[in-house]
Amino acid sequence: MMTGKEYIESLRALRPEVFFLGQKIKSVVDEPMFQPHVHTAAMTYELAHDPEYEDIMSATSHLTGEKINRFTHIHHSIDDLVKKQRMMRLLGQKTGTCFQRCVGFDGLNAVYVTTYDIDQKYKTNYHERFRKYLLEVQKNDWMPSGAMTDARGDRSLRPSQQKYPGAYLHIKEKLGDGIIVSGTKAHITGAINSHEILTMPTRTMGEQDTDYALSFAIPADTKGVTYVFSRQTNDTRRLDGTLDAGNPKYGIVGGEALIIFNDVFVPWERVFMAGEYDFTTELVETFAGYHRSNYGGCKVGLADVVIGGSNWIAEAHGIGRASHIIDKLTEMIAMAETCWSCSLACSYEGYKTPSGAYHISPLLANVTKLNITKMVYEWMRVAQDIAGGKIITLPTEKDLDNPETGKIIEECFSGKEGFLPRDIIKMLRLIENMSVGAGLPEAMHGAGSPAAQKIMIARRSGIDRKMELAKTVAGINKDSDFERIVGKDENDHWDEVKKKIREKTVQIS
Amino acid sequence: MASMFSIGLRYCGGCNPQIDRSKLIRNLKEGLKKIGLQVDFTTDRERAVDIVLLINGCMHACLEEECLRSGHNPKRITVRGEMVDDQHIEERSIPAFLSKKIMDVSQFFS
Repeated sequence: MMTGKEYIESLRALRPEVFFLGQKIKSVVDEPMFQPHVHTAAMTYELAHDPEYEDIMSATSHLTGEKINRFTHIHHSIDDLVKKQRMMRLLGQKTGTCFQRCVGFDGLNAVYVTTYDIDQKYKTNYHERFRKYLLEVQKNDWMPSGAMTDARGDRSLRPSQQKYPGAYLHIKEKLGDGIIVSGTKAHITGAINSHEILTMPTRTMGEQDTDYALSFAIPADTKGVTYVFSRQTNDTRRLDGTLDAGNPKYGIVGGEALIIFNDVFVPWERVFMAGEYDFTTELVETFAGYHRSNYGGCKVGLADVVIGGSNWIAEAHGIGRASHIIDKLTEMIAMAETCWSCSLACSYEGYKTPSGAYHISPLLANVTKLNITKMVYEWMRVAQDIAGGKIITLPTEKDLDNPETGKIIEECFSGKEGFLPRDIIKMLRLIENMSVGAGLPEAMHGAGSPAAQKIMIARRSGIDRKMELAKTVAGINKDSDFERIVGKDENDHWDEVKKKIREKTVQIS
Repeated sequence: MASMFSIGLRYCGGCNPQIDRSKLIRNLKEGLKKIGLQVDFTTDRERAVDIVLLINGCMHACLEEECLRSGHNPKRITVRGEMVDDQHIEERSIPAFLSKKIMDVSQFFS
């Protein structure tokens, strides 16, 4: 297992082609705009070595029996699923942002489950190939980015009907030793600071989209792969100093990027799906299930930070014991712990798949994520309420450092005795970073938008059975449990009751 | 005379089943009758049986966990919602699938 430092150094061996702000980036690790994201991913490595956290940050490989970073592990028990959630919350607490590595982690598990099932039907050898790849991932402690979402172009058209074929990643040519692929994957978290790219189809594919039913893994700096790093709210503040960025160490969300594949060669041993369109739904839903379950862990870790920050700032402002503040903080805590309960529940209700790997409860995972799409906005709204308008009107760090203006700014922003003005500004900036920035739409759309969750919930809710339950309680269906309790046919029972009422006694024999 | 093939029937607690467990067993018994296989079903956990049929309402499969935890590992067939052992089977096809499995196992025992 690599340490945080070793992970950062390992990235130096890669030479990905990355563009940002119109420029080609020479070194991902040394670029100040990228460093917060690199530090956050490094936390997933560092904590695995800490005796205080290793129990949830590491696992035992089912392939080798060796100790590995949990982010490279295939879940083999309910305990694994629960520990994954605990790891998500822990890392959210430690960084206050997205730590990126869970996407590839969920991709590894989803591909593991699905390749097994493809092989059962088609007698292919994808699963064996994937196990070999997984062994490499575990041995090298790689971070693969999970590349699922395509650019998608005109969404009223199927992938194969797009005007620009590059809107979806697809097979251009099949060769004896591999495939040639082209297309784009969008919003890919942690892409520029990952060792590998693990691709998956973005949606259910039909027979006409066979070339788009595709999963493979390649090194991040493979020839023909180009990254365009995404713009974020207030992102260039990190070039202005350390204060204004709010979370200068770890940044905002995951550092997403567009990945362009231009005639990229993938050897067959790293191809895990190539045309089996009837398994695209399984792969997408398995991945989505794992990934949606995470949000009740990681976002709750972030909530822990923002709740703590809100309480601290209220105390610094001298209103920490005000009843409305306590009420608001309690609301935030209740919302966060509700999401945490969802996350734990979908793990505890998990199940063993035919591959032997464990999957979470898909219904509860989608409920978890749907709650997150609303509750993160709500607890961040309350954080803004507590922190006050200062989070969007504070002067800059440079004005704070300027002798002509700094002293009066410090006086203006001083708080209760014992709280330093600069610390108050630091905390307000952190709350601004977390509650105003890209983290909100990330909670909405990351792992799929609310409509996608509602489709899955509706499909798996068992609504027909609920109707039967209602019909039984209402007396439309026969209720054999009730009949055993009263010791007779339900109709006979009610006839007797009616008779007794008529006889002006409700005593039932 | 050989004794009748016996199956120990175990139900999970049934908190939120994804399948109709009673209907499944009703249909299974009818199906076995149709193919002429006489089976003695029992829910008595103390009785010795040829195999155990675990009927879990969902894929979480509490009964399976219970078996693993207890270290008690009888010859068994496990229904886990719309899965039988490690295969995905639609609810309406489960009785026929189980009938075939039971038939195969009973021939092994005879």
